[in-house]
Amino acid sequence: MVEELNEQAQREKYVRGFGAMVLSRTLDRKLITAQRQGRVGFYTPSTGQEATQVGASMALSKEDIIYEYYRDVALMIHRGVPIEVMLDQVFGNSSDLAKGRQMPSHFVARNYNFMSIQSPVATNLPLAVGAAYAIKYRKKGNIVFATFGEGSSSTPDFHAAMNMAAVFNLPIVFMCENNGWAISTPVEKQTKTEIWKKADAYGMRGVKVDGNDFIETYKVTAEAVEQARAGNGPTLIEAVSYRMGPHSTSDDTSKYRTDEVQEGSEKDPIEVAANTLKEMGFINDNVVSRIKEESVRIVEQKFDEREKIPAPDPETMFHDVLAELTWNLEEQMREIL
Amino acid sequence: MSSKVMNMVQSLNSTMDLRMSQDDSIILLGEDIGKDGGVFRVTDGLLDKYGEERVVDTPLVELGIVGMAIGMASSGLKPIAEIQFQDFIYTAMDQIINQMAKLRYRTAGLITAPLVLRTPYGGGIRGGLYHSQSGETYFAHTAGLVVMTPSNPYDAKGMLSSAIDSPDPVIFLEPKKLYRASKAEVPEEDYKIPVGKASLVHEGDDVTIITYGSMVPLVSRAVSNNSVSADVIDLRTLVPLDINAITESVRKTGRVVVVHEAPRTLGMGAEISALISERMIEYLYAPILRVTGPDTPFPYRLEEYYVPNEKRIMAAVQKVLEFR
Repeated sequence: MVEELNEQAQREKYVRGFGAMVLSRTLDRKLITAQRQGRVGFYTPSTGQEATQVGASMALSKEDIIYEYYRDVALMIHRGVPIEVMLDQVFGNSSDLAKGRQMPSHFVARNYNFMSIQSPVATNLPLAVGAAYAIKYRKKGNIVFATFGEGSSSTPDFHAAMNMAAVFNLPIVFMCENNGWAISTPVEKQTKTEIWKKADAYGMRGVKVDGNDFIETYKVTAEAVEQARAGNGPTLIEAVSYRMGPHSTSDDTSKYRTDEVQEGSEKDPIEVAANTLKEMGFINDNVVSRIKEESVRIVEQKFDEREKIPAPDPETMFHDVLAELTWNLEEQMREIL
Repeated sequence: MSSKVMNMVQSLNSTMDLRMSQDDSIILLGEDIGKDGGVFRVTDGLLDKYGEERVVDTPLVELGIVGMAIGMASSGLKPIAEIQFQDFIYTAMDQIINQMAKLRYRTAGLITAPLVLRTPYGGGIRGGLYHSQSGETYFAHTAGLVVMTPSNPYDAKGMLSSAIDSPDPVIFLEPKKLYRASKAEVPEEDYKIPVGKASLVHEGDDVTIITYGSMVPLVSRAVSNNSVSADVIDLRTLVPLDINAITESVRKTGRVVVVHEAPRTLGMGAEISALISERMIEYLYAPILRVTGPDTPFPYRLEEYYVPNEKRIMAAVQKVLEFR
C-alpha cells in the first residue's frame, strides 16, 4: 500500500516526481540533439516511459536493489542519481564511474544500488534473482526491483528468472516496461499473450497498470513491494506506455511505424501528469513552466561542463579485467601504449 | 597435521564441507546437488549438514544457475555453482561471457562476481558427444575469467580453496576421469595452492611436456615407463598461465610437447606453442608438437582412439627428441 501522507507531504512527493520526469525528458532531448551534432556517440531515450519509472521509483526505498535496463533514466534521476553521472557515462570521460568502457546509456550508480547495465536484454533478470536470494538468506528486509522491455519477455533469461523467483519465493518485483516496440518489432509480433498474464504460468501474481499514469503505477508497485517485503513472493508488473522516441539514435522510426505519439499530446505521460497535478491543485501553468525552464538550465550547464572533461587515461583500458593486472596484460599494455 | 587418504571426489567434498563450516556466505547451487549429492556425488552429504538454504537444488536451467550465482556473488555471498556436465554449460555462455566475465570491467570494479563455477569435463565415462567435452578454450578465450583444473586429490583441495577465496570468477574444471582414478593423502585442515601457479610433477633435462587435468597422470606414467628425462608441467591454472614455469623449463630443454584432451585447433596447445615461439625461439632445437584430441566431436564407441594415449605421447616425444 502507498504510505499515508498529509496533503503537504503528498504535494511535495508528487511534484518532486513530476520534476524528475521533466528533467529526464530534458536530458533525452539534449542528448538526441547532441548526437545529431556529433557531440555524443549514441543514446537510447526514455521518452514516453517517465511516468512508469517515476511511479515505480516512488514505491521503492533507498536500500532496495535495482537491476535496471538501458532505458531507465527517469528512474535513476528520481532515485537521486545526479545527471553528471549519466552525462559522464554518455561522454565516456575520465570522470565516468566505469572509465568510459561502455557505450552511452549503459549507466552504473552503485551508490544508489543500481547494479549496472548490459546490452544483451534480460540477462540482468537471473542476476536479480540471485540478489533476491541473498536478501532472503540474510533476512535483510529490502527487496530487488528488476526492469526490462516487452521484447525481453521472449528470452530464455526471462523465463529462467520468473521461474526461479517463484520456486524460491523471493523478495523481488519484476517490472516489464511495455513501450510497445522492440526496435522495429511491435508487441503483437513479440508475444500472443499479454505479458502480465505470463505470471500465472510461473505461479506468481501478475498485474497490469497504465504506465502513463504515475500515481497508479506508484500504487501498483507499492503493493508488489509490500508483498515482497512481507515474504509473500514476487510479482510481475506490466506497465504499458509508448516508446515516443526511436529505439536509439541509430534508427529511423518512419521505416516501421506510423502511429507516433507527439510530445505534448494527450498521450504524452508528462502532459498526463501535469494535468493530474493541476486537477489536484498541486501545480499550475506557472509552476510547470518554471520546472521546465529550470531543467533546461541545469541540463545545458551540466552538459557543457561535462563535455570538457577529457578521455580516461589509456592505461585504464587494461585495468579491472581481473582483480590484479596479469603478466600478459602488462605486456600488451607496454606493446600498445 | 592429520590427513586422510581420499580420491578427488572426496577431496572436493571435504573442501566444501570445511569451508562451509567456517563461512556461512558459501552457498552451493546446481541440479541434483542436494538429495542426490550431485550425479558424481561431489556434494554428497552436504544437504544434511547445511540445509536446503545453503545446498540449493535448482530448476533445470544452466543460464539461471549461473545468473543466480552472479547475483548472489555481487550481493556478498560466495556461491559455488555446479553445472552437471560441462557439455550442458553452453546455454549459460551468454551469462558467463557477457555478465560473469565483464561485470568487474564494466563497472570499473564497483560490482564484481567472485563465484566458483564447478563442472566435470572430458572423457573417461563413455559419455559420447554430450558427456565428454573439453571446452576450456571457450573460457580461456574470454577476458575476465580465471580457469583452473586439478589433476590429483591433493591439488583439488588446495586449488578449490583458493578458487573460493579468489576475488575473480573462477571456472573450475574437474576432470571426471580422475574423480575416482587414484587416492592420495589429503591434509584435513585448509591449505591453498595459489591461482596461476603450475606444478613440476616430473623433472628431467631433455624435453618439456606441458599438460593439465586428466592428461597429467597419463603423461607422468608415459615418462616413467619409458625412462624419458622430461620436465612434466601440470599447468593447474589455464588463466592466468604460469609463464615463468614454462619459460624456465623450455630454456633448459629446448624441446616441447603439449598434451591435452581437447580438440587441437585453437586449443591451449596453440596458445602455449605461440607463446614459446614468440618469447624463446632461440632456445628451441625442435618444432613444438601437440598431442590432442582430434578436431572431431567426442565419439562414444571409439573413445579410446579420441583421447591421447601413451603411444601417441611417446611418438611425439621421440620425434622432438630425435629432431636435428
